Amino acid sequence: MQEIRTQLSEDLTAATTSQDIEAVRVRYLGRKGAITLLRKNADFSAMSADEKKRFGQQFNELKRFAEQQIAAAQARQTSTTLAPPSIDMTLPGLNNHLGHLHPISLVQLELEEIFQSLGFMILDGYHVETDFYNFESLNIPRDHPARDMQDTYWLKNGLLLRTHTSANQVRALEHYGAPVRAVFPGRCFRNEAIDPSHENTFYQLEGLMVDREISVANLIAVMRTVLTAVFHREVTVRLRPGYFPFVEPGFELDIQCLICAGEGCSTCKKSGWIELLPCGLVHPRVLEFGQVDPDRYSGFAFGLGLTRLAMMKYNIPDIRLLNSGDLRFCEQFPAAV
Amino acid sequence: MHISLDWIAQYVDLSDLSPQTIAHRLTMATAEVEGVETLVRSLDGVRIGQVVSIEPLDDQLTFVSVACGTEQFTTVCGAPNVREGMKSAFAPAGVTIAGGQTITERQVGGKTSQGILCSSEELGMGGGHFGILDLPASLESGAALADLLPSSDTLLEIDNKSLTHRPDLWGHYGVAREVAAIFERPLRPLQLVDVTQYNDLPAYPLTLDDPENCPCYCCIEMTGVAALPSPLALQCRLHALGQRTFNILVDLTNYIMLELGQPMHAFDASRLQAVRVAPFGTTGQFTTLDGQVRHMVPEDLIIWNEREPIALAGIMGGLNSEVSERTTGLLLESANFKDARIRRTATRLGIHTDASQRFEKQQPPANTKTATERFLHLLLESGLHPQIRSRFTAQGTLKDQTRYLDIPTDFFDRRIGNPIAQDRMVSILTSLGFEASITNNTLSVGIPPFRSEKDISLPVDILEEVTRLQGYDNLEPKMPNFSVERVVLNDHLRTQHKARRILAQAHGFSEIHNYSWFDETWLKTLGYEPEATLEMANPSAEHNVRLQTTLLTNIFAVVKKNTALRDHFRIFELGRIYLPAGGQDRIEKNVLAGASCQHERLGSLEAHFRQIKGALEALAEQLSLGTLAFVPATTTTVPWHTPGGYVDITLQDTVVGQLGFLSDPLLAKIAPTAQVVWFELDFDRFEGPIFPATSYAPTSRYPGSWFDFSVVASAQAGFAELVSTLDEFSHALLKKREFMALYQGRGLAEGTASYTFRYWIESQDSTLTREQIEAFQQEYITFLQSKGLRLR
Repeated sequence: MQEIRTQLSEDLTAATTSQDIEAVRVRYLGRKGAITLLRKNADFSAMSADEKKRFGQQFNELKRFAEQQIAAAQARQTSTTLAPPSIDMTLPGLNNHLGHLHPISLVQLELEEIFQSLGFMILDGYHVETDFYNFESLNIPRDHPARDMQDTYWLKNGLLLRTHTSANQVRALEHYGAPVRAVFPGRCFRNEAIDPSHENTFYQLEGLMVDREISVANLIAVMRTVLTAVFHREVTVRLRPGYFPFVEPGFELDIQCLICAGEGCSTCKKSGWIELLPCGLVHPRVLEFGQVDPDRYSGFAFGLGLTRLAMMKYNIPDIRLLNSGDLRFCEQFPAAV
Repeated sequence: MHISLDWIAQYVDLSDLSPQTIAHRLTMATAEVEGVETLVRSLDGVRIGQVVSIEPLDDQLTFVSVACGTEQFTTVCGAPNVREGMKSAFAPAGVTIAGGQTITERQVGGKTSQGILCSSEELGMGGGHFGILDLPASLESGAALADLLPSSDTLLEIDNKSLTHRPDLWGHYGVAREVAAIFERPLRPLQLVDVTQYNDLPAYPLTLDDPENCPCYCCIEMTGVAALPSPLALQCRLHALGQRTFNILVDLTNYIMLELGQPMHAFDASRLQAVRVAPFGTTGQFTTLDGQVRHMVPEDLIIWNEREPIALAGIMGGLNSEVSERTTGLLLESANFKDARIRRTATRLGIHTDASQRFEKQQPPANTKTATERFLHLLLESGLHPQIRSRFTAQGTLKDQTRYLDIPTDFFDRRIGNPIAQDRMVSILTSLGFEASITNNTLSVGIPPFRSEKDISLPVDILEEVTRLQGYDNLEPKMPNFSVERVVLNDHLRTQHKARRILAQAHGFSEIHNYSWFDETWLKTLGYEPEATLEMANPSAEHNVRLQTTLLTNIFAVVKKNTALRDHFRIFELGRIYLPAGGQDRIEKNVLAGASCQHERLGSLEAHFRQIKGALEALAEQLSLGTLAFVPATTTTVPWHTPGGYVDITLQDTVVGQLGFLSDPLLAKIAPTAQVVWFELDFDRFEGPIFPATSYAPTSRYPGSWFDFSVVASAQAGFAELVSTLDEFSHALLKKREFMALYQGRGLAEGTASYTFRYWIESQDSTLTREQIEAFQQEYITFLQSKGLRLR
């Protein structure tokens, strides 16, 4: 068998055309080929069971070797002789089907995933709200000066366009009770004059976590975790006092400027910090409005400006672009998150 | 609000503290400091001068002779308040005043002007321009101003919003208390005149008719006063904070308002017989001291002199009772008004004064007494010697008692999430003016009367006081402990996101956002009048009153805007529409709407329409909703629903939306040279299962075959009719039928079209034989013939 093997290799080396290779194949593997005959002519009656077995193994090995060698020779032959069709592979790729998602959707989708990974539900809410959910239940009774801060669009029937996604806090507490962990993204409205940094229609994402023994230290840790995920890097946060009637204590959360790492630059107005989101421990009265016992439960709430975040993330200098419908703007954003 | 550090330094030692440090620490512990400004006074060479004589030159100018010590100067002066004998500030030639102008000797109207008499602004002192400084006669003529006043001050600008809940911080003393607590330095006490010494005097006749809106009204009457110029230092502080100065009686009320946050009012006592606090009661007019006639409503709270209204409570005094140069008797009001009442009247009348702004934060009533005692002290300090004619007369509740609250100390540890030392709690609270002591792990807190009840009444309010001074920066973050639970996914939102992705990623749509209201001007152009809508009472613009009941009108506007920029584009919006449902009920629906626009030369309208229809079919399929049906519609309720130009989209026989294309005259208004295909879907009806029950169907082990048949049929009858005929053909081997292409034109009879279909056949049991295939083909052709159809 070794002789056949050596001879086959020599024959294949000598074969220069595909016809030559085919001839080699017939000579060895054809019906009257050397290898085929090897088996046909074998006298199995003269062999012991062990010998038969060994013959079978050697024969199969030889046959496989021959097949492989011949196939490889054929492949070499093909690749050296057939030229591929000539196309201009430097022409640009064709893509007729990709559109664009709105930057707010992109940021919202990303945040929803982050919050879900931390065990928050995502809830939707009404745009048209009642005074109760938008103000009263958030510890902002009629004539409260905090109503000044949010110029409200009132409807003729006494309803209003929600001024913040906080309007969902008491709805969520009523519906799910405590404990609850939820975020509510959505559109909000304030009667403001529009300029490059003010819009009357914008997006927020409110978050609420109510459980036994929720503390300020928890709030800081969760916010730091979320923001690290949002900005894809370690974020330094700080709290300072801020006033919002529905939290006590209330905070403004700043992040260390990501552009200058706290050194002070034009983005952070030389302060090294960027005011990012208001937050605080849920006011006991808000818990009561949501039928949750403030002696048994505590919680924190925070409000992320989705519009602001989208502007930061995509370097959008003018808030008015977001609702402009201008395709030169829309087409700059990806279709996939 | 602005805070003068020079003023703060009167109560707290600020040495070794830079303004930036103070601003930063206040921001971190109390309220946001938005800016630090330096006020530099131009005092060099400016001297106290006395007006010796005045000679009018014309309507406005006077020629004035001024004495500065032994020197005499002349000047031409345009100030309306210049008068003989007055003392003011004189800048002789050669002096540089604020703004960098150097005074020179010059000729005006033939007279020599050797310098100028200065206003506060000209000296860089601040304040509104109101003529030249009017200074007390006691100042020595010729004295240098630089010796009398600090050459500079630093002003902190504090964000008003962050002071909404802190009425005590609307005065310098409250801010000084914070600074003292932050830097752990002593706070110097306020010097006061104890009013209980007048308790034997008769009460001033006072009636309080509206205790709800005026929880406490106090006053005290005195004579022997005069409306003289205020001391220079006092004027200097008021000017630095942008206040105009008038005379000591009025200036002191403003000074105390800026010091304690408590607004006061000075009435000329000779004009009053008895004070009553009561609502206006009817509608009518009242003239405030700025000379404006105000239209009053019955609820407005008024201070009355018997039956005559004399002040708009808490907002502004009246013209008929104000202090004048003839005043010798003073009735000093120190009152507390309800925030809501002041706010409503001030907002309605559009008067936002320093006083109303402070009352709107609900000042604590106890401040009324402190303010009166402070007024008397400062009046005496200014050299006046009033005779007190009434006792300190108070109606209502002063609430000048300490309130107590007991809180378990572990409440702090649990809510903060970090342990806090008990002695630290006590020292922080004490430094803020609270009483504090701990026994048996219970903190007993005494809340001082100067802190408002609205601000401090619950344990969490005390928690905030302790934590903010302890420093939020010092807290160790800790993730919460809770058991792992499955998050209930919001199928609703997930479906919406899925739809967004399908349209953007597979069908070339760009997502846009529009406003939630109609544009009335655009509606007129479109010729569309919506049915019932929700309307805004205070829209941002006259043409943005009604909330949208369809997304399409705004989408059409975006189409129009973009036609100049692109020759083909697809847009969609997943937004809300708002429908009234009677009274305060409303329905909000999620709606998916879009439009595809392409220039007419880029392809046929039919193909364009089919692309969008295909996108919607694919969307329904991807959302596992089943098959959409498109039913030609004929009714016209909105301008873009033209018969023959749109179809109803149905899902299990329920209409869920419409798909159509625009035609003239509407098309001409939006995109005259383009095709516009639009759709609108009630997305709330479009929700399929989030995890669809897709199930794998085994493929045959035996290869199948396909055949393309081109069937010639009437083009008028339409595709749907042809298909319903072809549906009648069934065969055991037939796996599916696919529509491939449509052809009309050369080689076909007029009015006919050739529709190419691909038929897939396959057997689960064996490889198809030639006989089987030929039998299938023959059967199909026979079927066609039986229906009067033929192959092309």
